[in-house]
Amino acid sequence: MPREIITLQVGQCGNQIGMEFWKQLCLEHGISKDGILEDFATQGGDRKDVFFYQADDQHYIPRALLMDLEPRVINGIQNGEYRNLYNHENVFIADHGGGAGNNWASGYHQGKQYEEDLMDMIDREADGSDSLEGFVLCHSIAGGTGSGMGSYLLETLNDRYSKKLVQTYSVFPNQNETSDVVVQPYNSLLTLKRLTLNADCVVVLDNTSLNRIAVERLHITTPTFAQTNSLVSTVMSASTTTLRYPGYMNNDLVGLLASLIPTPRCHFLMTGYTPLTVERQANVIRKTTVLDVMRRLLQTKNIMVSSCARTKEASQAKYISILNIIQGEVDPTQVHESLQRIRERKLVNFIEWGPASIQVALSRKSPYVQTAHRVSGLMLASHTGIRHLFSKCLSQYEKLRKRQAFLDNYRNHPMFADNDLTEFDESRDIIESLVDEYKACESPDYIKWGLEDPNNHLTGEGNATGTVEP
Amino acid sequence: MEDGDLRVVDLVKELVHRLLHPSPHSNPQNPNPSSSFSTQQQEEYNQALKYSLRILSSRMTLSIAADDSAMAESIKRRLATTGKSSEALAFADIYSKFSLKSGPGSVKNKWSVLYMLKTISDDRKVKQKTLSNRMPSTSAIVGGLPMLFDNLDLNSRDFSDSRARESLVKGWNGGVLMVDKDPENIRDMAYREYAVLIKEENEVSEEVLVRDVLYTCQGIDGKYIKFDEKVDAYVLPELIKVPRCTRIMVRKLCELGWLFRKVKGNITESMDRFPTEDVGTVGQAFCAALQDELSEYYKLLAVLETHAMNPIPLVSENASSGNYLSLRRLSVWFSEPIVKMRLMAVLVDSCKVLKGGAMAGAIHMHAQHGDPLVNDFMKKLLRRVCSPLFEMVRSWVLEGELEDIFGEFFVLSQPVKAESLWREGYRLHPAMLPSFISQSLARRILRTGKSINFLRVCCEDRGWAEAATESAAAAGTSTGRGGLGYGDTNALESLVTEAAKRIDKHLLDVMHKQYRFKEHCLAIKRYVLLGQGDFVQYLMDIVGPELSEPANTISTFKLAGLLESAVRSSNAQYDDPDILDRLRVKMMPHNKGDRGWDVFSLEYDARIPLNTIFTESVMSRYLRIFNFLWKLRRVEHALIGVWKTMKPNCVTSRFFTKLPGDVKSQLTSTSRKCQVLWDEMNHFVSNLQYYIMFEVLEVSWSNLSKELEVAKDLDDLLGAHEKYLCSIVEKALLGERSQNLNKTLFTLLDLILRFRSHADRLYEGISELQSRNTDTGSWLGEGRKDLTKRAGEFLRNMGQDIDATRKEYSSAFERFISQLPIQQHIDLKFLTFRLDFTEFYSQLRPNTDGKFW
Repeated sequence: MPREIITLQVGQCGNQIGMEFWKQLCLEHGISKDGILEDFATQGGDRKDVFFYQADDQHYIPRALLMDLEPRVINGIQNGEYRNLYNHENVFIADHGGGAGNNWASGYHQGKQYEEDLMDMIDREADGSDSLEGFVLCHSIAGGTGSGMGSYLLETLNDRYSKKLVQTYSVFPNQNETSDVVVQPYNSLLTLKRLTLNADCVVVLDNTSLNRIAVERLHITTPTFAQTNSLVSTVMSASTTTLRYPGYMNNDLVGLLASLIPTPRCHFLMTGYTPLTVERQANVIRKTTVLDVMRRLLQTKNIMVSSCARTKEASQAKYISILNIIQGEVDPTQVHESLQRIRERKLVNFIEWGPASIQVALSRKSPYVQTAHRVSGLMLASHTGIRHLFSKCLSQYEKLRKRQAFLDNYRNHPMFADNDLTEFDESRDIIESLVDEYKACESPDYIKWGLEDPNNHLTGEGNATGTVEP
Repeated sequence: MEDGDLRVVDLVKELVHRLLHPSPHSNPQNPNPSSSFSTQQQEEYNQALKYSLRILSSRMTLSIAADDSAMAESIKRRLATTGKSSEALAFADIYSKFSLKSGPGSVKNKWSVLYMLKTISDDRKVKQKTLSNRMPSTSAIVGGLPMLFDNLDLNSRDFSDSRARESLVKGWNGGVLMVDKDPENIRDMAYREYAVLIKEENEVSEEVLVRDVLYTCQGIDGKYIKFDEKVDAYVLPELIKVPRCTRIMVRKLCELGWLFRKVKGNITESMDRFPTEDVGTVGQAFCAALQDELSEYYKLLAVLETHAMNPIPLVSENASSGNYLSLRRLSVWFSEPIVKMRLMAVLVDSCKVLKGGAMAGAIHMHAQHGDPLVNDFMKKLLRRVCSPLFEMVRSWVLEGELEDIFGEFFVLSQPVKAESLWREGYRLHPAMLPSFISQSLARRILRTGKSINFLRVCCEDRGWAEAATESAAAAGTSTGRGGLGYGDTNALESLVTEAAKRIDKHLLDVMHKQYRFKEHCLAIKRYVLLGQGDFVQYLMDIVGPELSEPANTISTFKLAGLLESAVRSSNAQYDDPDILDRLRVKMMPHNKGDRGWDVFSLEYDARIPLNTIFTESVMSRYLRIFNFLWKLRRVEHALIGVWKTMKPNCVTSRFFTKLPGDVKSQLTSTSRKCQVLWDEMNHFVSNLQYYIMFEVLEVSWSNLSKELEVAKDLDDLLGAHEKYLCSIVEKALLGERSQNLNKTLFTLLDLILRFRSHADRLYEGISELQSRNTDTGSWLGEGRKDLTKRAGEFLRNMGQDIDATRKEYSSAFERFISQLPIQQHIDLKFLTFRLDFTEFYSQLRPNTDGKFW
């Protein structure tokens, strides 16, 4: 009865980061590219059956579903070195292979169109697991397939598997460079609504800061997708180590997320990782003690969500929760000391309306992967500063919407037929209220937010009072 | 020059003349020697003159520096040291006058003069000795200056007349025996007179008394001297007329007899007891040693007896001075035996009731004696006495055999079950521990033998014999018998050290390698102390529903099956089957109304020999820890269950946008309350878990690992494990001193479980509301008002319930927090500071007095 987790890789980006993730897992568990356990992988202690299952011929097969509306990326996987790893029945490529054309509505409606096929795959995979813990969705929110079809899948999963967890790794677009996808703000907004309502936990992977990290921290002048994706796969694999290497605590996803997400709507997590390396990239080996790792994890430069907030607002931003997953040989006694230092130096600003603390999970490192660092750490945190990312999405959307630009592509699809743009408005309201709720979390009176006095402009911004008005 | 030479020759002639002829007869004015001398004298004179001239013309020089004041000083010192200080003073006076004289007619070579005078004085003393040995014919000295000092004025201080010289001569040649047949020998005369006097005075001759004394010394009554029971001594009857001094002497000598009697009596007594009673090997050795000592004594007596008949080999003709052995001589002969006998008597006295180690110890106490005679004697005796004891030590330490029929050894065995063999099987018997073996050495000896027995009985191991042989070889003593002895404490110590080192190492090897002590500890930590997270989770998942049933309806078999499936589906499946086989479900005795949760526990069967470490009491403490941790897990599980019902995609997607405002705000308020309370509880439980993991389990474990690495013997191992377990019990707030805190903690945990049922009810109600909502499609129509009203009521009630729970929880939590600092004996700083990491509670407390909102 392992708590199985099924990974859904949707769209170009989703499949790319998913592939990197599986590569990393195979390395860590000593599974060959063909899914066969390597001879050296005899040191037990790891749990492969959370993410893999064994076929009759002892092959380890990822519990992964590869979905795309265009064949390019998946074909690449199927012709690549890992072609024998995946279960071919778990691959879905739309018949026409035309993709979604970077249109959320197209992706969403194609998702609806292929619902039966998609859900068949999901059901089959779910039936194959003893005690399904939940789903992990990898996608980007800006494109067409990952955002649109991903949104549709989220709604469907919420319906059909309401008791199961749904976690997403969502890649947010780079806001510093002009995208070739002009409708990116529309797509993002519409996806964000589903992420807010239909997902249990969203791990935000902000391309802006992934690029920044690649440039600033890893000194790569023009980071490739492969390089940023390896950052993502590092984060993804690190965030699942406690599930794969069981210890005293944090052995299931639900327990991991429960402590991180005390308020259901504020379930967007940001991540930080140290020390960062890209494959085969020479890096200066620094001193890595638990304290160093934990301190560096709190530095914004290591965090994979851009903090584009003004300094005044940034200083008010607060952590709702922090979980540090420390990997490697760590003396447990160091944890206490490090926490004490961090507390003394007031390095963390926590919410005031409830108790909070930095949670530390110690996890083993894979014995099969050699790293230059004795200790590495991943931070998963719920931070109110993330609202600025949403605000930016909102403002970009407003700009486009004001000009009524590029709406025609959406009107072609049933949801927006007859110029019915209520979906946009509703999404905007939901995101706005989400931003407000995050803002309310910064105040000690969060508990009373949105209650008794609906006219009290507690948030002091916009017309929002917390609950969503139709 | 010629003038001077002639003068010197004249002066020498004058000097020789003066020296050879005493001053009263000589006439300095008449230097013609031939006139007044006989021919013989003339010859002597010529010889001496020639001799002196030869010396003077020779080139002999002195080896000392010519310093007249130093010479004067030397003479002065000599005079002073020989006790003639007044003369020394006089000399000093004369010398000062002498040295002041200068000018014509005065002596030029003052130093030479002094030196000559000193030499003559020294020469005189040497001559005295040679002279006295050679007897009167002084003229025989070839070329010497015979008798030149006799009349020398300067030298008159040592003796003044010939009589003194005579006595001196006698003193050199005399001994006790008078060889001199000088009829004036007064001492010889006195002796003879004395002997006659004694003979007249004594009724009993000394010879008889000597013989009697010799008899009594063998414990036999003599002719006169008999043992008197009344005074408990050998006495010479009053009737017999002997001088008082003789009587006293006899009594003194007879002490030996009395002592002998005592010693002998004791020996025979214990010899008689040998076969029947438990004299013990040490006692037997003691007797044997005494007997040997006595036979030495018999030999002496035999020799004395033969001598008693022989007369004293006097050199003087009259042999009437008596037999060789007088009482006085006897007392000299007896002086050594009497010391020994006295010692033996004392030993016999003090050891009569003792045996074994105690006896050896008692004897050892008497060996601490400054007299080398006593010391040697005691050492010899102790070597004999202790040999059985040391033999026991040897066989115990090297073979683990306790050959102690008489209970003499300082290690006692008790018949016990194998599992308590180590703890209770053997102990030190302090009374039997001789003081020359220190406590620490004794403990080491005890442990070494115990280790061997433990290996033999519990571990079924044979490898120890090799280790024992090796250690014996290393210690340099043969493993055979009699290798050790008293006084060889170093040898004993090195043997014990070597044996202990090797046996302990072997034992630890066996414990670690064959019986995998640490792996079992780890297994207990992983399963009983819930360290294997995934296993615990599955177990919780599958036995959870079962355990909610009343305790008496639960089948242990079913639970055992569930345990097995939990093992199979977790990573525990890769563990050693031997370890998994030992993991059992245990149902504690239950009372009426108990749920399965109250009685369920896991148990680990350590088996022999590990049950020496994991004894029943140890396991029961593990059980208590298990129960606590299991409860904590259950609470955590419950909280996560609550989270699942209110998890984001369940709640956020259910916007009751169509609900009327008041119900909506009530819903929001109630669910927010629920969430915030959940957050607080979860914060508490997860931080408590972190504390348990980092501060309690892992820290204790790493301490245990460290201590196991340096552990040298099984006791260290036991100690380390005991410390490990204690630290877990104490730190997990299960100790004696944390009872109040523990109670509060359990109140909190129970409250959380109660909260779960409230939350479940709330979310059930909400989803029912939702389903009604979707059923009717809209809130229009008949039932709407009714439904709204009921929903409002339900939410209000739930809100109140949650408020009440919160209040109770807050006050209990407040109690818990405030009790934490009272726990001085354990470091709870970490827990306190984790719980209040953001100072949330410490900021609340002063203002709101425990109420949070």
